[in-house]
Amino acid sequence: MDDLIKLVRTYRLTSGLSQRLSLAERIFRIIEPDLRIFVFGAIAHPAAQDALQEVLKAIAVSLAKFQGETAKEFWGWCYRIARNKLNDQFRKEYADRMQPVPPEQLWQMIELSAHDAPISPAVRHDLEHAMNLLTRSKPECYDFLWKHFMFGLDYADIAEERGVSYDNVRMKIGRCLEEARSLVS
Amino acid sequence: MAEISQKDQLALHEFSVRYRAGFAQANPTPDASIDTVKNAVREEYEREQLAKRSQSIEPSGPTPQREPEEPEPGA
Repeated sequence: MDDLIKLVRTYRLTSGLSQRLSLAERIFRIIEPDLRIFVFGAIAHPAAQDALQEVLKAIAVSLAKFQGETAKEFWGWCYRIARNKLNDQFRKEYADRMQPVPPEQLWQMIELSAHDAPISPAVRHDLEHAMNLLTRSKPECYDFLWKHFMFGLDYADIAEERGVSYDNVRMKIGRCLEEARSLVS
Repeated sequence: MAEISQKDQLALHEFSVRYRAGFAQANPTPDASIDTVKNAVREEYEREQLAKRSQSIEPSGPTPQREPEEPEPGA
């Protein structure tokens, strides 16, 4: 079982304060960077740091009430809390759509990841292809592709967020990728 | 309807894993974030304890009415 979900389930069953603090630290050291990407991609910069702290607080307070059983469900739950928090408290600054990250910044992170796991030429080729798909997609597609492939949100999560149907999201992501592929090739 | 090719899916998945790993390396969780989390956990714990305490001092039901005393025999 995924380490993250093990920690979350243990937290749910733990009643002592010191154990909870220690588990919460381990959980948030895993999830904070991804939540940072989410918040900083959605909020104008000066407010982003405050927004991130509010999101962390909201997740920490509800952590014992998480009912799911898988890491995927847990991530979906975290992003739902984050989105609601940003919508409620940072409405003015909330872009509602992920802001594109410049390709050179994206690639810088890929190179950094190579320190721990070297990139073979074949994988490098695939990674360049993936980056081209993301960065050459139309602005309205970027948010769909980023949320589905980078954050792992499924069609149902995105449909709920956008207030559209599951099939609408499924088709939109397919079309966005097809368009991006035609621009890349 | 366009099908998402397996090659694209795998490439995007690998990209996502590596981007997030690189980002986490470049942006390790700051102490301020951990402090925020710990404060929230403490506050929630105190709320729970308070709720438990107030539950335990609440009377479990209405005070039983005292039965009227039976009259003394021969009274």
